[in-house]
Amino acid sequence: MTVLLEVAGLSKRFGGLHAVKDVSFSLQAGSITGVLGPNGAGKTTMFNLLTGFLPFDSGTVNFEGRSLAGLAPHLIVNRGLARTFQLARPFVGMTVIENVEVACLAPRVRHEGKAKQRAAALLDQVGLGDKVDHLVDVLPYGDLRRLEIARALATRPKLVLLDEPFAGLGAGEIQPLADLIRVLHRSEGLTILIIEHKLREFMQLVQEVIAMDFGEIIAVGTPAAIVRDPRVVEAYIGTSEQAALATAGGENGAA
Amino acid sequence: MDIAKLDQLAIVLVVAALATAPLVFTSSYAIGVLTVALCYGIWATSWDFMSGLTGRENFGHSLFIGAGAYTAGFLNVQFALSPWWSLLAAPVVAVAFSLILGFPTLRLKGPYFALAMLSGSAVMQNFTIIFSTYTGGQDGLNGIDPILDSTLAYYYLVLTCLIATTVILKLIANSTWGTILRAIRGDEASCQASGINVNFYKIAALMISAAFAGLGGALYAHYQLQVGPDLFAVVLSINIIIMVYVGGLGSIYGPVGGALLLSILTESLRAFSEYRLWVYTLVLIFILFFMPQGLIAPLWRRIRKAAA
Repeated sequence: MTVLLEVAGLSKRFGGLHAVKDVSFSLQAGSITGVLGPNGAGKTTMFNLLTGFLPFDSGTVNFEGRSLAGLAPHLIVNRGLARTFQLARPFVGMTVIENVEVACLAPRVRHEGKAKQRAAALLDQVGLGDKVDHLVDVLPYGDLRRLEIARALATRPKLVLLDEPFAGLGAGEIQPLADLIRVLHRSEGLTILIIEHKLREFMQLVQEVIAMDFGEIIAVGTPAAIVRDPRVVEAYIGTSEQAALATAGGENGAA
Repeated sequence: MDIAKLDQLAIVLVVAALATAPLVFTSSYAIGVLTVALCYGIWATSWDFMSGLTGRENFGHSLFIGAGAYTAGFLNVQFALSPWWSLLAAPVVAVAFSLILGFPTLRLKGPYFALAMLSGSAVMQNFTIIFSTYTGGQDGLNGIDPILDSTLAYYYLVLTCLIATTVILKLIANSTWGTILRAIRGDEASCQASGINVNFYKIAALMISAAFAGLGGALYAHYQLQVGPDLFAVVLSINIIIMVYVGGLGSIYGPVGGALLLSILTESLRAFSEYRLWVYTLVLIFILFFMPQGLIAPLWRRIRKAAA
């Protein structure tokens, strides 16, 4: 297996707050990895650093052996590292298919042409095939999450960073989306890094979990091991997440 | 009725109406009003191309208009160049201004671009007065040569330019470029996450917008045969924005309609003498209150929907 992403000593300060502190990890090509941690642990900030939406203070980020330091977000996407946002951010005022077409026009994939056909095929793949001409303004939240994923896939990424893809979804919507992510991982050979909380479906989806708290990595391991890790349990103590985490761990252990 | 056919029919009717208008209203005053209305059409649609599509409001479109008009005036009056050169040089100078102001400010979030355009046009208006030795100060540059001797022939030249401008801008807006520009309006961060270089598209859109505004400025200068500091005035920019809103933001063709409607309306209200501004303002309030999406483009969309 080859290393696709290698992060070493990544740090970011906002004034006195050390949002991301000396974070190091690497992702194997074709892996599916989770990032777990309570709110404010620095997960989204780390995503923003990796994708160029924020500059990092120190450390290195190598993607396919090449540094991503100082690159603008769109250049990083065109290297093959795409992302979704925690809050779905569609192009309001445009139709579902137009939203995906935009990403089909990125320089990385533009030469393939046929933006419309590619967008339609991607929307079929994520289960929005019957809504291509709907305005995104009227789309339910679950569909917006799928749209975000279609848009990320349109740039033909090697690595996708999903920022809380299950946030705001109803109970019935979580499993189908988890299944979709699993299919993308298995059939497309996509490398995936997912930020998420506690969820049972999430723990069943990922092969490895990176647990963060106060901007630092506190533990790395399999989902089953990570939920029993005393440092992870401690990070969640006193929060409402604790009970849920225990449940998720129990069910995951039983599964 | 087929939608495409309906569109074609409308285009033919509008062009035919504009082509016959000066044959019906033959006075040189009427032809003048119509020529100025066409210039406003070029300005409004070029504003819409940048700001209507990308959502980055430009409060100083008069900067490009004034730059184009003064370029025409300088070349013709100071350097005695053939007036035809104006049509080439004016867009180039306007584009240079768009780069000077757009390049540093369009990369920033927040109101910097809008403010830079607003103050840029105000600064240039003051410059025309400060450097009065070259610009003629308040009096402006006089004695500009007409491009064509007949006002009727010139009307048709300006009409051709308006049609060309609208067609070119509409074709770009309907292409993948237009899709990207509208996406920038929707969400810039998502555009970047889609691998799109948003700064490139915003600056390019402003350059295109400036080129046509500058062309319109030169056409206006060679109709008036005079240019003055008012061509840089903020009130001109505001009037153009109002025309775009009345026409329908982001539709390219709507603002042309809005510009023709409002500029001809302003002139035809002269009969009301001192109440003219009252009537004009009431009409505006009525349109913007009852049709916040605008008049021309939304109306046409409704007709198309009914026909489909």
